[in-house]
Amino acid sequence: MYTPDEVLKFKKPTEGFCCSLSDNKYGIEFLEFEIRDYDTSKSVFKISKSDAPDLSKLSLEATNGGSSVEDLVRTVRYKLPKEFLKFKTVRTLLKFCVGPGEVPSFRMIERHYYKGELLRNYDFTFGFCIPSSTNTWEAVYDMPVNSQEQVDDMIGSPNEHTSDTFYFVGDKLIMHNKAYFQYV
Amino acid sequence: MGLLTVIKKVKAKEKEIRLLMVGLDNAGKTTIVKNLCGEDVSKTSPTLGFEIKTLAHNGYKLNIWDVGGQTTLRSYWRNYYEQTEGLIWVIDSTDVRRLEDCKRELHKLLVEERLAGATLLIFANKQDVSGAQSQEDLLKALELDKMGERHWRIVSCSGVTGEGVGKGLDWVVEDIAARIYMFNN
Repeated sequence: MYTPDEVLKFKKPTEGFCCSLSDNKYGIEFLEFEIRDYDTSKSVFKISKSDAPDLSKLSLEATNGGSSVEDLVRTVRYKLPKEFLKFKTVRTLLKFCVGPGEVPSFRMIERHYYKGELLRNYDFTFGFCIPSSTNTWEAVYDMPVNSQEQVDDMIGSPNEHTSDTFYFVGDKLIMHNKAYFQYV
Repeated sequence: MGLLTVIKKVKAKEKEIRLLMVGLDNAGKTTIVKNLCGEDVSKTSPTLGFEIKTLAHNGYKLNIWDVGGQTTLRSYWRNYYEQTEGLIWVIDSTDVRRLEDCKRELHKLLVEERLAGATLLIFANKQDVSGAQSQEDLLKALELDKMGERHWRIVSCSGVTGEGVGKGLDWVVEDIAARIYMFNN
């Protein structure tokens, strides 16, 4: 099982997932995620638990596509408007709830890659989560300044921008999600 | 300037400040934070856990931890004391009935060893509502006469109108910055 230190040394996207869905023993569930432009407050992506695809549909796709249901529920495909690549500052909001037990030390490490190379790393410690609580985390990030050439390259390379998000409780990996980005 | 330059920029050590915002339920903590972030303050619901905001303020990266104030949640506040540089205590200045509760909970925090070095900002909130106690009256009621070495200040404010909110935050950030980052500049 991977520790935060090991994950922080990853230089390329992982093959498959580093833990299984059943490793989430704390009942942590994501309720909402939103990405907004900080300057205009315009929302460019929003997903909430209520609009998550239902599992029966996923299993159909899984049979056709050959990947397991487990993998599909942990993969997000973002389709972001291309002006996102020109945003100066971005605000993200994550809302999650936890099960009936205490969560001692909750931490997220997210690694972004472009064409297989590490682009940036986010590391945030939520710390303690109160039993049965609903929590939100809103962060403001400065975005990279991209040249027109880079913007065009990213638009022309759908799903080459990927990320691995690892969630730890203490040093134990409890969740791993993958994301693919395309700009349209 | 390429993507790699950007990675370096992100990696550069940012000056981070951790602020913990607590107080009785319905004191207006979340509304104050929303106001600071320029968000809509008209709809706020009770916080049933924490709400963290990370934002840039005068060259510092602030991590504001707004933790729910309901009775059942208060016993968990202690889990958020570690590494807290600034404590923001919010009072509903119109809630005269619960001033005694407010005083008791605040005094519990003041004897916490892990918060001993933290700068304390007290927001006398809801000053826009009629019947709000003045900050002088609140101070008297809270019996804050034995503060020792602690850096602290009370600021009248309204999370709804925004009056005083920025002034309070500026003070707490400056005070912490002067203590912590004095030798790093």
